[in-house]
Amino acid sequence: MPAPTRVERHRAPTRPAHIAGILGWSGFLAAAIATMICFAFIDPAAIATGNPPGWWGPRMRVYGIGFFFFWFVGIIAATLSWALAHPRRGR
Amino acid sequence: MHGEVTVPVASLYAAHEKVYPREISGRFARLRSLSVWLLLGAFYLLPWLNWNERQAVLFDLPARKFFIFGLVFWPQDFIFLTWLLIIAALLLFFSTAMGGRLWCGYACPQTVWTETFLWMERITEGNRQARLKLDRGPWTLRKLTRKGAKQILWVSFALWTGFTFVGFFTPIRVLAGEMVTFSPGPWETFWTLFYGFATYGNAGYLREQVCKYMCPYARFQSAMFDRDTLVITYDKERGEPRGAGKRTPQSRAEGKGDCIDCTWCVQVCPTGIDIRDGLQIDCIACAACIDACDSVMDRVGLSRGLIRYTTQHALDHERTRLLRPRALIYATLLASLVAGFIIAVSLRSPVSLDVIRDRNILYKLTDDGQVDNVYTLRILNKSEHPQRYVLEARGAGALTLLPTDRTYFVPSGAVYSVPLRVRRSAYEPLGAETITISVRSLDDPGVHADTKARFLAPAR
Ligand code: SF4
Ligand code: SF4
Repeated sequence: MPAPTRVERHRAPTRPAHIAGILGWSGFLAAAIATMICFAFIDPAAIATGNPPGWWGPRMRVYGIGFFFFWFVGIIAATLSWALAHPRRGR
Repeated sequence: MHGEVTVPVASLYAAHEKVYPREISGRFARLRSLSVWLLLGAFYLLPWLNWNERQAVLFDLPARKFFIFGLVFWPQDFIFLTWLLIIAALLLFFSTAMGGRLWCGYACPQTVWTETFLWMERITEGNRQARLKLDRGPWTLRKLTRKGAKQILWVSFALWTGFTFVGFFTPIRVLAGEMVTFSPGPWETFWTLFYGFATYGNAGYLREQVCKYMCPYARFQSAMFDRDTLVITYDKERGEPRGAGKRTPQSRAEGKGDCIDCTWCVQVCPTGIDIRDGLQIDCIACAACIDACDSVMDRVGLSRGLIRYTTQHALDHERTRLLRPRALIYATLLASLVAGFIIAVSLRSPVSLDVIRDRNILYKLTDDGQVDNVYTLRILNKSEHPQRYVLEARGAGALTLLPTDRTYFVPSGAVYSVPLRVRRSAYEPLGAETITISVRSLDDPGVHADTKARFLAPAR
């Protein structure tokens, strides 16, 4: 198979801004999927009839908060994988 | 980089040099414009299209229902959405195996919007040379007005894009009214700005870096390539040894290749690579270099196709096989998934019935020895037309239903909640049982749905 030759430019990123970009971006992609699946099965309005937490509200608000929550978790996961994959960094 | 002029700019990514793609016309450029027009046209116009007095394509998140022309999807239909996504993914794999990065070159939103932003840059700042000069020159009034004009175009276009995007998820006419009076909801405002800003940044500034650093597809696509996949390549055998100067029929005999080293293919490349170095992962297969090289070959009187769509097998002077196991597997899978989807959607019942028990009271005994269970039923009219429905229930014993008139009128796409009291003799039969509640349309006899519910009663 003619694997496209990788251009030398693609070295592992070292600049903090670049790394932060990667972590935020992969978390974002994961959050998009998680939000979609989660709210396909859970209707915030149905939960609102029970005893929801104080920040609960109309659907759009819960979707939005859910998305940022998943994004946050995604960034944590991405950061951990980054840290574990680069054991020598920061020594 | 063979005479390419690049200017380093401050950017999020290290050692990034801004690419100034030269504009090119030609067969593939025309094909891409066509694709850009079609896709952007569909994106910007679709939300305004109405169908049966409602928005034709609307993923109504606040109301949790999706409208796609005549079809209405509910959260219960999530499987169909998943199915559709799998079909889309497989289609991407299939097209990649056959045609390489056709998606990147002609259809990816990143390409389409970058193309549009480049066009706006061109009409305000001029062509490649003019842009290079403008960026290197001092800040004059002329530079200020040109850059300002570009920013105004970019920002308004990006905002319009964000607005359109949100218009797929909340009714666009209502949203437009809110925008005009500056009163959109906080989340609508947020997502409009968010998507608008993403468009502005990705298409205006990040451009090829999205493909290089951010795109998951770009990382995985080469796994789908084989030696029969269509790729864009420079014909080394024919082009080398390259060199400037005139070409005559004798040139080849004198040991000169066909490449005149004009570097046009490099100048037009949106990702700033030199295709003559071989197939590279950064190449998004936009075919701009083909158009560039063809026009040069026309000018110097050599035949076209020094850079062209071809396959590895063809380059190695072997036969290219279109029908190969990989292609056949993808095609069969794809065809069966699409067929299954169409069948499943057309067989989908146009009405559905949910039953919710009253959670507080299990059952109620009446004075005359009967037992009552109370349910809330939700009738979903998934059909395109309003319908009159009638509710019925069956069980082991004789059931009495209250209210006695159980005909309900439900508009298209609406959900209707009705209380239903089911009464039965308390001990005949003894204990709890499972009953079947059904809904039937009076207007369309074929339309009905059943659901099971627990009927609770004292055990003795
Ligand atoms: S590499 Fe990714 S972002 Fe770039 S054109 Fe291809 S699919 Fe789109
Ligand atoms: S090498 Fe050619 S096809 Fe590939 S991205 Fe550059 S101009 Fe487009």
